[in-house]
Amino acid sequence: MRTLMLKLEPIIWGLFGGGMFIGALVLPAWLLVVGVLAPTGIISATPLDFDHIYGLASHPIGRLVFLAAAALPLWAGAHQLRHIFLDFGGLSRDGLVGGVLYAIALVGSVLAVVAAVNL
Amino acid sequence: MSELRARVDAMRPATPGPTRTADPQPPANFPTKGNYFGYIAFGLGSSLMLLVSMNIVRTLWALMEGEAAFRALMESFKHPAYVAFHALCFAWLVWVALRFFSLFPKTQPFRIGPFQRPADGVLVAGLYGIFVVATLVVAAILTGAIL
Amino acid sequence: MAEKPTKTIVVTRFDPDVDEVPKTQEYTIPVEDDWKVLDALNYIKDEVDPSLSHRWSCRMAVCGSCGMTVNGEPKLTCKQSLADYGDRVEIAPLANFPVVRDLVVELEGFMDKFKKVKPWIVEAKEAAVVEGTNRQSHEELMDFKQFSMCINCMLCYSACPVVSNEPDFLGPAAIALGHRYNQDNRDHGDAERNEIFREDGGVFSCSYANECAEVCPKGVDPSGAIQQAKLNNVVDWAKGFVVPRGK
Repeated sequence: MRTLMLKLEPIIWGLFGGGMFIGALVLPAWLLVVGVLAPTGIISATPLDFDHIYGLASHPIGRLVFLAAAALPLWAGAHQLRHIFLDFGGLSRDGLVGGVLYAIALVGSVLAVVAAVNL
Repeated sequence: MSELRARVDAMRPATPGPTRTADPQPPANFPTKGNYFGYIAFGLGSSLMLLVSMNIVRTLWALMEGEAAFRALMESFKHPAYVAFHALCFAWLVWVALRFFSLFPKTQPFRIGPFQRPADGVLVAGLYGIFVVATLVVAAILTGAIL
Repeated sequence: MAEKPTKTIVVTRFDPDVDEVPKTQEYTIPVEDDWKVLDALNYIKDEVDPSLSHRWSCRMAVCGSCGMTVNGEPKLTCKQSLADYGDRVEIAPLANFPVVRDLVVELEGFMDKFKKVKPWIVEAKEAAVVEGTNRQSHEELMDFKQFSMCINCMLCYSACPVVSNEPDFLGPAAIALGHRYNQDNRDHGDAERNEIFREDGGVFSCSYANECAEVCPKGVDPSGAIQQAKLNNVVDWAKGFVVPRGK
């Protein structure tokens, strides 16, 4: 597993970098609006409205943004968690832990693509 | 953090010398102090993206399944524990974004063709500006204020 | 004449013939205002305890021999003022290195890594014969000059959490130096070096803690070099698909 991860490291690092960028630019606003302000009633419930979000997510550009925000940060998170694990002496289990983390990111990305295509 | 150790083979030569050596010590302030703390907090904070983006995957999936599934998911976001979690993620990721953008310029080449890399301060200010604008625009779109 | 102020210097000692593990020894000595940390060690060695072992040479932050851990931080002791610390100063060998004796660490592991990145200009002579002199513009020099200021003091290795945990990691100074040659327009070794950079313990092992850049006494930015090398390797790796490289 470790050998495979080493081979794919350039592409994983690319996904990680993209994920950090997209995550930094899009996730805070999402968390603030959909995660905090709308559910607590501080602002109107528009961000929780099906038609509104569906309209955004099914627009060609919206579809791409939603897909990027869903899939890429998964890789950033998985990659960072793997490195934290390594920083605390996890080298001997890197193949297993890294493999599982990247597998989660991969499955999440596939689900995101399926959903984004079928909206 | 005395329980943290460096690996005994850290920086060990391929051919060990003739005398016995003492084991390497880990960096003294790792991970609690100074830059190390920021580094680990950054790593943990960006690891949260795994969970946050999983929720966006769920949202997309619910949108695909239909209005009932989407409503149920949004209803679950109203749970106080979820709100607290999202608030924590928001604060942490804002800090992560700022640290990410401040560390970003020096990862880029000094020169691309005839173009010199602008001063780090200029680039960081630009990235912070993009961050603020992007956050405001995305928030405005999500709330329906624009589009 | 007023009595000189004193400081207590707590030195980590290790004698491989006697000690199972390193221990500490305290020396309370008179100090001068303008002393560097190294001056205190040299005073102890000359006037108090000749058995103390530590490395040093140039006393002007050029040779890179006197790196040690001072109050928990990697410092070049000839450059670090003693006056910056209080009455008690703890001096230990560099972290992340096996300890040979007292404050002297084993350097060969570093030299092994250093040699791996081919820190020399590859194919320089051939190019020079065919094309005359090797010309380099100011802009081309600035592409790597920053990274050539390294004095191999190894403070960056001592500060790096990845070095602690991944014995194969090439480490900050070696990668920065490899990157320096990759950026040098006289050099033609980047394909070879990038292969090494993509091996286990190469550039992608770095998790950008950035502490190497923080502790560098010469203002070199190894973490910047490593991230730039990662970017080059992603491009290089992607190009390998488009244009397969013959061996």
